[in-house]
This record gives sequence, structure tokens and C-alpha cells, in this order.
Amino acid sequence: MIQVSALTKTFKDKKRGLVRAVDGVSFTCAPGEVYGLLGPNGAGKTTTLRLLSTALRPEAGTAVINGVDVSENPQKVRSQIGFLSGNTGLYGRLTPMEMVSYFGRLYGMNTSLIKERMDRIFSMLDMHSFAGRRCEKLSTGMKQKVSIARSVIHDPPAMIFDEPTTGLDVISSRTIVEFIRQCRKEGKTVIFSTHIMSEARRLCDKVGIIHKGKMYADGTIDEILTQAGCDNLEDAFIKIVGE
Amino acid sequence: MQISNVATIFKKEITDTLRDRRTLIFMLLVPLVAIPGLMMGMSKLMISQISRVEQESSRVAVIGQEHLPEDLKAAISESSNLEVYYYVGSEEEEQTRALTEGEIDVLIVVPDSFATLIETEQPSTIAVKYDQAEIRSEKAEERLEKILQDYQDKLVLNRLTQRDISAGILEPFDIELEDVAPMQKLVGERLGAMLPYLIIIMCFMGAMYPAIDLAAGEKERGTLETLLISPATRGEFVIGKYLVIVTTSAIAALLSLGSLVFSMTYMVDQLVAQLGTMMTLELEPKTVLLVLLVILPLIGIFAGVLLSVSIFARSFKEAQSYITVLNMAIILPAFVSILPGFELDYTFAVIPVINVSMIMKEAIAGSILWHYVFVALLSNSVFAVLSLLFCRKWFERESVIFRM
Ligand SMILES: Nc1ncnc2c1ncn2[C@@H]1O[C@H](COP(=O)(O)OP(=O)(O)OP(=O)(O)O)[C@@H](O)[C@H]1O
Ligand SMILES: [Mg+2]
Repeated sequence: MIQVSALTKTFKDKKRGLVRAVDGVSFTCAPGEVYGLLGPNGAGKTTTLRLLSTALRPEAGTAVINGVDVSENPQKVRSQIGFLSGNTGLYGRLTPMEMVSYFGRLYGMNTSLIKERMDRIFSMLDMHSFAGRRCEKLSTGMKQKVSIARSVIHDPPAMIFDEPTTGLDVISSRTIVEFIRQCRKEGKTVIFSTHIMSEARRLCDKVGIIHKGKMYADGTIDEILTQAGCDNLEDAFIKIVGE
Repeated sequence: MQISNVATIFKKEITDTLRDRRTLIFMLLVPLVAIPGLMMGMSKLMISQISRVEQESSRVAVIGQEHLPEDLKAAISESSNLEVYYYVGSEEEEQTRALTEGEIDVLIVVPDSFATLIETEQPSTIAVKYDQAEIRSEKAEERLEKILQDYQDKLVLNRLTQRDISAGILEPFDIELEDVAPMQKLVGERLGAMLPYLIIIMCFMGAMYPAIDLAAGEKERGTLETLLISPATRGEFVIGKYLVIVTTSAIAALLSLGSLVFSMTYMVDQLVAQLGTMMTLELEPKTVLLVLLVILPLIGIFAGVLLSVSIFARSFKEAQSYITVLNMAIILPAFVSILPGFELDYTFAVIPVINVSMIMKEAIAGSILWHYVFVALLSNSVFAVLSLLFCRKWFERESVIFRM
């Protein structure tokens, strides 16, 4: 369960001065649900997700993940979440196996547990054939699988995806989409950001439309369509954001 | 702070770093191949140049040969390593030009009626012109001066004998000079001056690439964020990464020291064997241990400063350009402090880099000044800890980690 209420974050920017990247954002996402954060470039999606992942500290408002507040106990929140973004890279000189078990250790898992989990994930994603090759030598699709494996090695109850399909081809995107569905099936709480409407429509149980740091609409896709009086998500999005 | 987390981070980072070609070049290739190669090449070149000059005969031009006494002329002509050309007085200008242009090596100008003046025991001057900047010319002058000196000694002896005076009157007593400076000190002054400088540079080089890769590199790859949101603390990451940089730098320093001592010893042996020059290079184990002792806190400072620069930088390239500037700021003081005229004192002992280079220089020259060593160790350790704390501060700061 993820509960976000009135989350706010301001950056000091050299040129623009104070930038309120996230401004009183609230929403909730239950286990087994996929929540889509939709917004144009610079809307504040990444910043919101970074606040949830504890990479950034909130300035005001709260986010509670599995009952733990990110401001009060970020250390504990960290083991509750898995994080994957389109920009997350790999250690080129390590093999997928070394890479994934490194993160397993960082999450405090012991060797046998890591081995067991890794074996299961590698089978699920069909990664065994390249598990011992250096990451720098892998194709983009293979790399994406390594990133996925890394993000779930500690079996977190909540998953956060920040535009996970940017820069991927259809096949690799499909892997990610399948993976998100799998997470939902396992009862994980999933939040993901995107600006691709078709992706949101296919995956999300609920969506929030965010623009200039503010939440403009929040609910199921049907609710959003009714609210905007449109019959597809793209029109609704443009109507809401354009206002 | 959990030791097990630091160990996990250290293990991963050292594996990763040791697979990095750039790191390996500075950590292994430069100390083990480039340094000995350079030193041996240098000694070969020196030896071949010196021995060539030694073997080749010097080209001597004599102006006013008609005024030379016969026996002196014979001595010059018969000398096996001189190639002599005789000219008359009018050619002095022409031959001076030949000397400056390197066509001849030395020029003797015999004054008018020199032979008569010698005969009649009147004062006179014979001019020897040479070019001190040319090693060939210097050698030629040395050879010629010896002949002239011998001739002069012979004349003095003749004149004394004619007057029935013993030659002993010229030297009422002997002066016996004894140089008490240990050989180590003489050579130490020269080679020792170079050693600290090279070792300090190698420490820096050994730390440079791992440092860039471990923070700025993580930002560039987009892996840093995944570390920040893992349960290991920022302090644990900083310490793990810091220790990796210290390790690679220490390996580079250790290998460079070994390789420098080995190749300098080789160089000295060659010079002694080939040229009979008097010098030795003996580094006592005590000296080597001291060098290692003083270098360690300095490595600690380098690691901390490089890591904080790397944390601040947004990309690999940006880190590299900051570090180029930093490089200057370290190499320059290291170089200046080994120039003659700089003496270690308490002020210098407190300043990182300068203190280490001066202590090493003194130690190699044979003197260890423990009170300065103590001050330097203390000061550098304090700076190293401060730099590490600074790294952690920056690693915890959002505006540095997510700098745009
Ligand atoms: N570290 C930072 N320092 C200064 N300003 C920042 C920082 N991070 C984000 N911003 C600013 O905050 C605003 C929101 O950025 P954010 O990256 O959250 O948007 P986004 O919705 O993820 O956009 P995109 O679709 O481009 O990824 C932007 O104006 C951005 O320039
Ligand atoms: Mg973004």
C-alpha cells in the first residue's frame, strides 16, 4: 500500500530560481494495483517517484509505504521498494550474476537466499544463457532484463517504475509490460510513470494526471474520461493539461 | 555503520575497478613497464653519449703555430686524441666562428713571439677558447688544458733545476682532502630529488581513474540512484569506495617505489661500470619503510579529495577536467619543494604534499628528521580524515548528488 498526501518538493535552480517540482500531490495505490502517473516533460513525475523511493527527502507532506513513512524511517522504506527507471544503467564490467547478487547483499540477503531468488528470476526472464557474460557486452534487451532482476532481487512488496520503457524497442518494452503485469499478479503495489497513453491504458488500474507539479486528475481511467467528457485517454489528457 | 556492508561494497568496487583498463594502466603498466623502460633508456643514452665523446678525438685549431715552442708543438701533435689543424694569426676571426658553429671543438691562440717569451722567462698568455655548453668542446678543453699544464710543470721544474732549487719548495706541505659526506648523500641529493616527485605523482595517478569512476561514473551510468535507495547507508558507500581508491593508489605507489629503486640501482651500476663514475645508491630498508609510512596518509588525502571532486561532478568528463586542474595543484608544489634551497621546517611539515616530498628527499639523502616526520604524519592524517568526512557530507547532500 502506498499513500501519498500533499507531497511537496522545491529545487533551487541556478537560472530559474526556486522550482516547485512537486506541489501538494496526493494519491493512493493498493496492493495488486497499478497506478500510472501521467504527465508531460518536466511535470514532476521523476521527482515524485524519487520522493517515494527516498532518494530525495520531502519538503512537506507525507508518503507512507507499507505503513512506513518515508520521512520518518527512510532506511526501512528502502527494503520495501524496488526501483527501475529508463535511465538506470548497469555496471558494464560486472556480469549479471555479480550485479544482481551485489544488490542482494546490499539488501541484507544471505548467500543462499540470493542464489535461490536469482535462480528463480533468471529462469522467469530467461537469462541463464548470458548470466556470466559482462553487462557491457549484452544487447539492450538483455540489459533491461538485468535491470529488472536487480530491482526485484529482494522481493519488495512495492515497485516503482519511472518511464521504464523509454528508449526500448517493441520487444523489450513488451518484457517490461509483462513484468509489471506479473508484479500486479503477485499482489505488489505498483506505481509507474509514463507519457505514453497507450501504455497507461493497457496497464493501469488507476491514473493520476500531473502537470507543473500539481495533480490535475486522479482516478480510474473511466472516471477520468467521464470527468473530462472525452472518449479516449489522449484527448482527456490534453484537455486536462491544456486547461 | 556495518562492517559487512562496507566489505560488500569494497569487494564489488575493487572487482569492478580491477577490470577497468584505464585503472590497470596507471596501477600496473606505468610502474612496471614505463618507469623502468624510461630509466633504462635514459641511462643507455647518457652512457652512449658520454662514451662517444670519450672515444672521439677532439678537433683543435691552433692559431699562430709559428710562435709555439717546438716541444709544446710536439706534445700537442703527438697526443692521440687530438686532431690538430694549424693556422697563421690572420685566421683567428674565421676560426672563432668555426668554434661557435661547432666545426672545431677548441681554439688555441698563441701570442706573437710566445716561444721567445718562454725562452727568456718573460710573462705571456696563451688563450684557449671553447664552448662550455657543448659536451665535446668541454672535453676538448679538458684534454688540451692537461697538455698545457704538463708543459708548464715541466718548464717550472727546468727553471728550478737550472737555479739549483729543489722542487719541494713549491709545496711546503701537502693538503689531504677527505670528503666525509657519505656516498649515499651525494647521489641521494640527485636521484633522491627525483624519487619523491615521481612517487607522489604515481600515488595521484593510481587514485585518479578509480575515483572518477566510483562517483561521477556512477552518475553517468545512472547506477548511483539505485545505490542511494538501497538499505546500505551513504557513509558505508563512501567508506567502501574510499578504501578502494586508497588500495589502488597504494598498489601504484608500492610498485612504483620498487620499480624506481630497482631501475635507479641499475642505472647507477651501469654508469659506474661504463664510466667509472664514483657513485652508489643504497636505500636502507629503514628508508623504504619511512617512505611508505609518510606516503600512506597522503594517499588518504588524495583519495578523499579526488572522491569529493568526483561526487560533485555531473559526468566522467567533468570530473576529468576538474582533476586536470587539481593535478597541477599537486605536481607543482611537489616539484618546487625538491628544488635546492628549500629546507624542511615546521611550516612545510604541516603542508600536505610538500611535507611528504621534502621528508622523502631528506630520507633518501640519509637523514630522517623524526620530529618533522611526526608533525607531517599527524597533519596529513587530519587532512585525510577531513577529506573523508567532506566526501560523506557531499554524498548525503541532494543538491550535489542530483546536481543539474
Ligand atoms: N535536481 C534538480 N535540481 C533542480 N531542478 C530540478 C531537479 N530535478 C528536477 N528539477 C526540475 O523539476 C521539474 C520537474 O522535473 P522532473 O524530472 O520531476 O519531471 P518529469 O515529469 O520526470 O519530466 P520528464 O518527462 O522530462 O522526465 C523540472 O522543471 C526540472 O527541471
Ligand atoms: Mg522524468
